[in-house]
Amino acid sequence: MNKRISLLGVALMLCGIIPSAAQGILGGHVTGNIQFDGQISHRDTIIGADDVPKKLLSNIRTDILYTNGDFSAGLRYEGYLGPMLGFRPDYEGQGIANYFVSYRTQNFAVTAGHFYEQFGNGMTLRAYEDRYLGIDNALRGINIMYRPFNGVILKGVIGQQRYFWETTGLVRGIDGEVNVNSLVESWKDAKTQLTLGASFVSKYEDNDEIISSGIDGYKLNLPQNVGATAVRMDLSSGGFGLQAEYAHKGQDPNDLNDYIYREGDVLWMSASYSKKGMSANIQAKRVDNMGFRSHRTEKYKEMLFINYTPAISKQHTYAFLSMYPYATQSTGEMGLQGDFMYKFKKETLLGGKYGTDVHINTSLITGLDTTRIGGRGTNGYTSDFFSTGDLYYGDLSVEIAKKLSSKLKLAATYGYVVFNPIIEGHEGDLHHNNVVVADLTWKINKKNSIRFEAEWMGSDSKYDATVDDKRCGDWIMGLVEYNLTSAWFVSLSDQYAYNDGIGNYYNLSVGYTKGATRLQLGYGKQREGIICIGGVCRNVPASNGLTFSLTTSF
Amino acid sequence: MKKIFQLFVSVFVFVSVFAFVSCDKIEEDNYIVYAGAAGKWYDGSGVADKSQRAIIEKYTGVRCVNCPTADEAIGVAVGQYGDKLIAVAIHDSSNFTKPIGDTPRLSTPDGETMSQFFGVRDAGQYPAALVNRASTSTGWDLFTPTEGINSHVDNILSNNATVAVAVDSAVINNNSVDITVNIEFLQPVSDELSLTLMLIEDSLVVTQRLHDGSDNENYVHNHVLRDVITDVWGADIDCTGAAGEKRVALFQYKPESSEWNLRRCHIVAFVSVKNSKQILNVADCHVR
Repeated sequence: MNKRISLLGVALMLCGIIPSAAQGILGGHVTGNIQFDGQISHRDTIIGADDVPKKLLSNIRTDILYTNGDFSAGLRYEGYLGPMLGFRPDYEGQGIANYFVSYRTQNFAVTAGHFYEQFGNGMTLRAYEDRYLGIDNALRGINIMYRPFNGVILKGVIGQQRYFWETTGLVRGIDGEVNVNSLVESWKDAKTQLTLGASFVSKYEDNDEIISSGIDGYKLNLPQNVGATAVRMDLSSGGFGLQAEYAHKGQDPNDLNDYIYREGDVLWMSASYSKKGMSANIQAKRVDNMGFRSHRTEKYKEMLFINYTPAISKQHTYAFLSMYPYATQSTGEMGLQGDFMYKFKKETLLGGKYGTDVHINTSLITGLDTTRIGGRGTNGYTSDFFSTGDLYYGDLSVEIAKKLSSKLKLAATYGYVVFNPIIEGHEGDLHHNNVVVADLTWKINKKNSIRFEAEWMGSDSKYDATVDDKRCGDWIMGLVEYNLTSAWFVSLSDQYAYNDGIGNYYNLSVGYTKGATRLQLGYGKQREGIICIGGVCRNVPASNGLTFSLTTSF
Repeated sequence: MKKIFQLFVSVFVFVSVFAFVSCDKIEEDNYIVYAGAAGKWYDGSGVADKSQRAIIEKYTGVRCVNCPTADEAIGVAVGQYGDKLIAVAIHDSSNFTKPIGDTPRLSTPDGETMSQFFGVRDAGQYPAALVNRASTSTGWDLFTPTEGINSHVDNILSNNATVAVAVDSAVINNNSVDITVNIEFLQPVSDELSLTLMLIEDSLVVTQRLHDGSDNENYVHNHVLRDVITDVWGADIDCTGAAGEKRVALFQYKPESSEWNLRRCHIVAFVSVKNSKQILNVADCHVR
């Protein structure tokens, strides 16, 4: 609480400066935004929504940024009075959650206070925020960037991670990136460009008393400094691109890996080719015991991650295709993803009058093939690098988007998803889902448009009250969205489990936008499930009621 | 070329900073350590190496001109027996241990106590040694360890161990050392037993008088007793002495002197009969 009071002091100090600055007395300028999200939810026994004792839940945030030449300073007020459903109750409260001062020139930057940073693909360090997931692992400390000469960037960070209203742990990291072409004058403008990078991140934490299994009176001898190292490359030549990163982590017994001492690593590779009207990309990834968090005993599975491994499955947008999102398994997984886009030109057999876009994406993710050595206090398991374990997730989506006329545009999608509930911590059979989506947009005139969306999902899963997975069964969905100019929109949708499932989830939304201000109201039911962004997920509990959101910026 | 030089300098500076915060590496044998109250005995998991070992306690001094010969003979024996023979060099408070010139004194109060108890001070003959604190019908089996070490050691090693001892870890934890000791009874023992822990240091360069009367300023002393961590006669072992019994205890030790280089130290642990002082078995390990 004392920390929050001291933060408030900083806020008031900055607020004292800002009005003057906004008037140009000190020079510079002030920008910011305000977001207010609220929710009222009622008990609904069919969908499993509970009563909310506080009746009204709200998440509020305001960012204020002052910039004056190379100098900038900012702060963020956050209020969770009480936190909206799905957000951890530990957020309850309000105060200045983020503040910083920064000085940045072309070749040098230093930030003191809270900052976000990522080394490479984030395999050793990604301090980031996703407000929709309720994740903010900003570091509070010092972040320095130095560019000794063009093409070379060195970074150094040291700080503690944000954990709800506290900061905790200790993270230190360095990163260097070199554009090899920039080192040699004659290579600078070469068609082939190569960038190499490396990073090292170390965390420190005090000893915890983790009792060993088996013998009374024994505990684990835990490493207090755990390091992770990564090397990466980015090669491009014309339309071809090849990126790769490998990271290795030292012994890090923690709650995620059941306190084993096996070292971790991750290899990620991506190869791509693109030209006008076509692109192809294939990615591969192998993750082995690479969960890297500030606290080895952290109870919330999504909190206090220092690193991040890139997702290797498509983030679907349609409701039924995204009903079973894949959460990256930092304890171990192997995956392949292929993505192909092609545009059939106008005035061709398949392109027709306006051209046709085809987008195919598929991914396959499995566990590792492991041989158990022992439990906590051992090396855990051995694993063959190329051998795969159980199927975790697979999907295939084929989307064809075509403009039918000057006013009609149709996107038709077929998707197939196979999902292993073990990745959400449940035993059970694989779920096999077929999904068909039709998305039609009718541009009535310059100011009015209407969008129709119809979805169907057939699944071999059946609702079982003992498991209570409300996603099971066969579903249909319809959505109508009307846009009046760019200011108003009204949307009505309904999802209904017509076979082997449970639930009827209707939603009505109205939105109004004027300038930088947007107001949205919604009423309806939310199915219990999981949302994922970039493979990072959180649970979403069922709700039935009103939601509203007000955002503005200045 | 200038750019590459600048790059190397920049990277060197960054990496140098992080050389101080690299990650810890726990050896597999030390994944699990004792968590109970210090000095308290609990049921243990047993001892992997159940062999009999011997300990030679050599009473020595920097002014003892025959002691370097004993050091050499003990070094040969340790090389010959490997981990089956553990050596300790004890500097009591006799005139032989007075430092030569401005060099540190290696004497310890515990060394003086033991020297008096075993009659080394009264005999006044240095070097003198005991192997496993063995005795004869006439008293302690003290001998001059310039020769005949093997016969004393063989007498011990020819017996089957009654108690197996292991020092599983000696880990520096902040400013103290965590020491985990396991014992396992291989045969029933009815006597009351004690566990003694010693801190000994290797590679101490301290002036030593040689046989020809000259002083060697670069003489390297090994196995030097720095401290008896437990009481000089050991700590009671809470056990029944039944064959097959396995016990374990953790000791947390804060070194008394900051001049001792823990990275060059060993922990010696031995089980002895409380009344007779006879050492049943011994083990050692490096401090890390």
